[in-house]
Amino acid sequence: MISEFLSYGFVQRGLLAGSLAAVICALLGVFLVLKRLSLIGDGLSHVCLTGVAAALLMGASLVYVSIPVVMASSLGILKLTEKFRIYGDAAIGIISAAGLAVGLFITSLAGGFNTDLFGYLFGSILTVGMDEVILCAVLLVILLFFIIVFYRDLVSASFDAPFAHTRGINVRAVNLTLTLITSAAVVLAFKVVGIFLISALLIIPPVAALMLARTFKQVLYWAAGLALAAVWAGVYLSFVFDIPSGATIILVNLCLLACAYVYNRLKNAYACKE
Amino acid sequence: MPTVIEASRLRFRYERAWVLDNVSFKIESGDYVGLIGPNGGGKTTLLKVLLGLEKAEGSVRWFGQELGQFKDWQKIGYLAQKSPVAQSRFPISVEEVVFMGLGFERFHNRVSHTDLKKVYEALSQTNTLAYAKRVFHDLSVGQQQRVLLARALVSQPEVLILDEPSAALDASSREDFFNLLGELNSRRGVTILLITHDTGEVGKHISKFMYVDKELVFYGTKQEFCHSEKVAAKLGAFAQHTIDHLHNTGHCPLGHCPGEGVSD
Repeated sequence: MISEFLSYGFVQRGLLAGSLAAVICALLGVFLVLKRLSLIGDGLSHVCLTGVAAALLMGASLVYVSIPVVMASSLGILKLTEKFRIYGDAAIGIISAAGLAVGLFITSLAGGFNTDLFGYLFGSILTVGMDEVILCAVLLVILLFFIIVFYRDLVSASFDAPFAHTRGINVRAVNLTLTLITSAAVVLAFKVVGIFLISALLIIPPVAALMLARTFKQVLYWAAGLALAAVWAGVYLSFVFDIPSGATIILVNLCLLACAYVYNRLKNAYACKE
Repeated sequence: MPTVIEASRLRFRYERAWVLDNVSFKIESGDYVGLIGPNGGGKTTLLKVLLGLEKAEGSVRWFGQELGQFKDWQKIGYLAQKSPVAQSRFPISVEEVVFMGLGFERFHNRVSHTDLKKVYEALSQTNTLAYAKRVFHDLSVGQQQRVLLARALVSQPEVLILDEPSAALDASSREDFFNLLGELNSRRGVTILLITHDTGEVGKHISKFMYVDKELVFYGTKQEFCHSEKVAAKLGAFAQHTIDHLHNTGHCPLGHCPGEGVSD
């Protein structure tokens, strides 16, 4: 059964793109969750709708149109929080609402599209093309380079931004890079799990990892591992039971989160007894 | 004495209200300055402006260099009023937190033996050595504050900028804490700028007072601060309370307070 499942080209591409997107989102999510910016993925995924609508209207590539649109929106979120001193969650809410409204406005101007918008809302990992696989791989390489080279800047800025500034770390540049990579990740991940479920990839594996790990590096490893496991199990189950892949991946992620929670509780109870 | 911090005509406002207005002063090497003033008087904002955490009109110079050009941050140790991660489950050990206080080279993530020695020295100075391997968020707020002080001390800074550092400490830790600061100032010549409402404990070590209430109302030696009836009258009830406190705790250098008839 498994060898048959893996023999299809679309399954191989889907698994590869899904694994890459899941690892990217999980690693980024660790920093976003700790910086209490985890809903940025949700907000930016709504902006994807503007990118999708604009791309369909222009007849251009969804990814290439959506990436600059979502990046510009993420810069808008940073500007709202830094310049206008609006709370991060409120800034995300404003940009999210604007992205959704503009997307629907463009759709209405175009008189609706023939394309199945449902696919973009909830994802379809098994329709991923080779160019998207390559883009995911390139983004993962960029992200890994950023994390390895700027590891201490990232940890310091996430732990205590004002103090990091007094160590000469350019906290603004760190945040900006993190936000721009998140924008690109959101666009690439929307093909895998869909616009409405992207934030789950960014939030659930890191939250589960935080329950299992004791050090920062362990959290990164656990988050990536859990995300990979969820994608592989999710794609396999969706193939076997003929159910939507995006939703299945998220449900597997939730099961892993529940397991991490139970393990954490048992561990704490055992530690208390000792 | 060389000038460590020089602030000129600092002005800062949140929305429409001016929080700092035309504040200028110089802090010299070896000074131990107590920054006092009423709540909302702009003390914390002043420290943030000095460190570049808030942008203000005017200029700030560190060791003779404009703030924008200043790169030698290892010379400065900073401890904020509240730990920004006090409520978070950030997965990091105490020794890793203190390690953040040291400078680092790009592509060099390994901890050297010298760095580790410095980390353990700082932990020892703040009586937190026993927690070295523990997860930071498992500690109490007071213990976290002592670890964050170790982080401020680990680079062996020439200047310490401290924003109400004793607020979360118990009485015994507070006394140890201020004795440590006093020792760093008197033996190693560390310059200290400290926001405090706790003039009782800290009063015996401080050499100068800076009183800020949106503008710089008073900046001078402890003797001048305690001695002057005119200063007390000008500064009002808050300063009078501080002077009385210094007197009652025996830290008024002249042994009396303006209320007892000393005149300029």
